[in-house]
Amino acid sequence: MNVTQDLSILSLITNASVPVQLVMVLLLLVSFMSWLFIFRKLFAIRQAGTQTEKFERDFWSGGDMNGLYQSAVNDRHRAGSLERIFEAGFREFAKLRTQRGADPSIPVEGARRAMRATYQREMDNLERHLAFLASVGSVSPYIGLFGTVWGIMNAFRGLANVNQATLAHVAPGIAEALIATAIGLFAAIPAVIAYNRYAHDIDRLAIRFESFIEEFSNILQRQAGVGK
Amino acid sequence: MSVAANAFLYQEPGKVPSVVLAVLVHVLLAVFLFFGVHWQSRQPEAVMVELWASPPAPVTEKVEPAPEIKPEVKPEPKPEPRPEPKPEPKAVEKAVEPPKPVIAIEKKKELKKEPPKKELPKKEPSKLNLDRSKDIRAQLERETATLNQQLEKDRILDQMKRDAAMSAARADAAYISRLKGKIKSNIVLPPDIAGNPEAIFDVVQLPTGEVMSAKLRKSSGHKAYDDAVERAILKSSPLPRPDRPEQFQRGLEIKFRPQD
Repeated sequence: MNVTQDLSILSLITNASVPVQLVMVLLLLVSFMSWLFIFRKLFAIRQAGTQTEKFERDFWSGGDMNGLYQSAVNDRHRAGSLERIFEAGFREFAKLRTQRGADPSIPVEGARRAMRATYQREMDNLERHLAFLASVGSVSPYIGLFGTVWGIMNAFRGLANVNQATLAHVAPGIAEALIATAIGLFAAIPAVIAYNRYAHDIDRLAIRFESFIEEFSNILQRQAGVGK
Repeated sequence: MSVAANAFLYQEPGKVPSVVLAVLVHVLLAVFLFFGVHWQSRQPEAVMVELWASPPAPVTEKVEPAPEIKPEVKPEPKPEPRPEPKPEPKAVEKAVEPPKPVIAIEKKKELKKEPPKKELPKKEPSKLNLDRSKDIRAQLERETATLNQQLEKDRILDQMKRDAAMSAARADAAYISRLKGKIKSNIVLPPDIAGNPEAIFDVVQLPTGEVMSAKLRKSSGHKAYDDAVERAILKSSPLPRPDRPEQFQRGLEIKFRPQD
């Protein structure tokens, strides 16, 4: 090993031992996946936020509920989470209301159950992959550490064969090994930040959805009373 | 039914852009690491050693003094004793003999002859007082004796001086080799030295052997080796003392080669 050698990242990676290289590849994959999900969740949550905003504006601006329902059914592909919750609840309400002689609370309860179910589904969709980010954030530093420990073990074992041991003998090995920790941290830090941020955003959306469900139930209750 | 269908309709937006962005992030990271890691390129040189040096010390110390003393001791006696005995005895004989013929000539033949230059003042009185040839003879004898003594003394002194210089040089060599041995045991050789370049250091030491300073006079051309030697010199403080205190030198010039 050359002392004055440039510790270029490529030489460090190519000189590393096989387990360390495997760890690096694994971590690189994990890092790629985590960034992929970070961006996907970013877009998804941002879109959910704007759609919720838009639907709430439409809903509370006093538009016709049937019209809203129709538009929600018609372009289901572009409908947001809240719109789908509304659609499910309104459909159930409309179905149950047609049954004559029933208790007025029954359609409202049915609509609420339908909305709950849709809400759960929507939340599940929104929270999808968040667990992956959480595990990347907590585990990848350890994977990187494992690679580092392995690499340092090798570096020191190589030292046993040299009778005049210098730091120059171990330093490249340790530097190689530390690359693994660096990649692990690179994967973990954004994942943790994104996880916390997205969990918070999704919590806020969930609160908006829940309050909408309660408010919409009240409106349906009133309508059921009127219709009776 | 249609509610359940909603779940399948759900599509996360921005799949393609996120792939592109994720790739972009990693490319950026790779570029950053590739160019950013260049700050570290000089680091290992500076960090070097001092931790792992002690174990090999006895090996190097045993090996080194032996080859160094032999070549220096052998060549010295050969060139110096030879020139010494030859020129000096001759000089003495030559100096002593000329007066004898002069005495013989003056005593028996009483001829006037050009004497050697040294005898000039003595000859004139001898010419004038021929009767007192005995006195002159005695005087001449005394003078040749003193001259002889003088010459002998000079010769002895000279010899002593040479001897002293020789032994000093010899002891010096042993002393220097001990110094070098100690320092060398502390040198941690950088692993990639090409050839056998020589580094010369000016070392200033206190009478106790403590190293005041080690200055590089002539670099070996290999900076890591120069640094290693300098560290080794500083680490070898106190340096070994000479056998005789008069051999002590405050300033030493020590040469190092990686392979001796």
